[in-house]
Amino acid sequence: MAHAWRFEAIGTAWQIDTREPLAPDVEAAVAARIEVFDRTWSRFRADSVVSAVAAGAGEWVLPDEADALLPFYDELNDATDGAVNPLVGRTLADLGYDAEYSLVESAAPSDVPYWSSVEFSAPVLRTTSPVVVDVGAAGKGLLVDLVASIVEEHTHQFTIDASGDMYHGGTVPIRVALEHPLDPTRAIGVAELDPEDALCASATNRRAWGEGLHHVLDARTGRPTDDVIATWVVVPQSCMRADGLATAHFLADPDVLMDRFPHEFVRMHADGRVVWSPDFPGEIFR
Amino acid sequence: MNLPAHKKMLSAAAAASVLLITAACGSSGSSDASDGGTSAPTATSAAPTTAAPTTAAPTEDAETPDIGAEEQGGYADGDYEAEGSYTNPGGESTVKVALTISDGTISEVTVTPEAENGTSKQYQAKFAGGIADEVVGRSLDDLDVSKVAGSSLTSQGFNDAIESIKAEAGV
Repeated sequence: MAHAWRFEAIGTAWQIDTREPLAPDVEAAVAARIEVFDRTWSRFRADSVVSAVAAGAGEWVLPDEADALLPFYDELNDATDGAVNPLVGRTLADLGYDAEYSLVESAAPSDVPYWSSVEFSAPVLRTTSPVVVDVGAAGKGLLVDLVASIVEEHTHQFTIDASGDMYHGGTVPIRVALEHPLDPTRAIGVAELDPEDALCASATNRRAWGEGLHHVLDARTGRPTDDVIATWVVVPQSCMRADGLATAHFLADPDVLMDRFPHEFVRMHADGRVVWSPDFPGEIFR
Repeated sequence: MNLPAHKKMLSAAAAASVLLITAACGSSGSSDASDGGTSAPTATSAAPTTAAPTTAAPTEDAETPDIGAEEQGGYADGDYEAEGSYTNPGGESTVKVALTISDGTISEVTVTPEAENGTSKQYQAKFAGGIADEVVGRSLDDLDVSKVAGSSLTSQGFNDAIESIKAEAGV
């Protein structure tokens, strides 16, 4: 596509490709939506709702998107026997991934509270202790969906790439390389995205800051995972679901996830082994 | 289930994931009973599962293979094809197994899921998913792609923090 709008938001690089440049008011609407999302969900900024939740028990009215996000976390938490849990925030911070990027592991990282210890009845979240919510597993995918809903009011030819999380509008398929997690100059395969497909990639190579320290935690142990090192998930029409499942594939058996969630996946293990679903749209370079 | 008359079928009334496959003689291309005869061996394999062991009993509508006629010490060379059925939470499912025996050993096996309902299809698809050892990949320069999908690029703040840690550590 002819035009690429690049910017940095929620701690990563974004690119929105369109045939024609988006009008300034559309760009402004996108930026405003991202800002509102960040002000709710970011544990990296002191003025967010999540930071208020972290400060003490209480009740908070959450925005509409919580009603998509938090029930999906229920599903993921259930399917992974508790391994995916948005209450990993405090433990991640203790491991060094905190608002200041201290990147130093504290002596005794916190255990992760059970997801069932908080209660969400839309739109109200109730907590009985200070919990640090981290929506890293599916939040960015959700934000891509929210941005897509703004962009598609103005054009049907667009691709949103929030650095690993993609939603493809448009009328023709695109080919996307699956970056080798150990060598960013190479690809282990190619995915073919149809219009309205979302693809989410996740790997432990970049958000890593020390030996065995990266951003994908098993909430049951409070430790970063080490078996799977990269995942890719394709889901039609929902970047949120693709994102969450890309995280879940670090933490659960693929059969369990295939039984519960319609999706296609590729996952690479630490020993170099690659496993993928039979109908994955694309090719793996064996 | 539609089975050609010359195929024998062992229906396993077994627990959910116990899969029994009976290979009876007679490939799709061979209807000649003398080509291997009715004394063809039955190869029964059970997929390992975590389910409690169950005794698989042939159901009354299935013809019991003539195991007693099996010759000692090996199987006759030839192409074999059979269907096996098993019960899973999604209902009854079948898989087709084709195998070639040469010099008394299996030289080729093809397993084709034949699930009809959605749950079973997905269930069986898992057996047919892809796996590859140590994928090296190809250079991005050699690919015709419009995007690359890997882990998220990190923010400048994160990158700066990593750099300062490396500097402190003298890396």
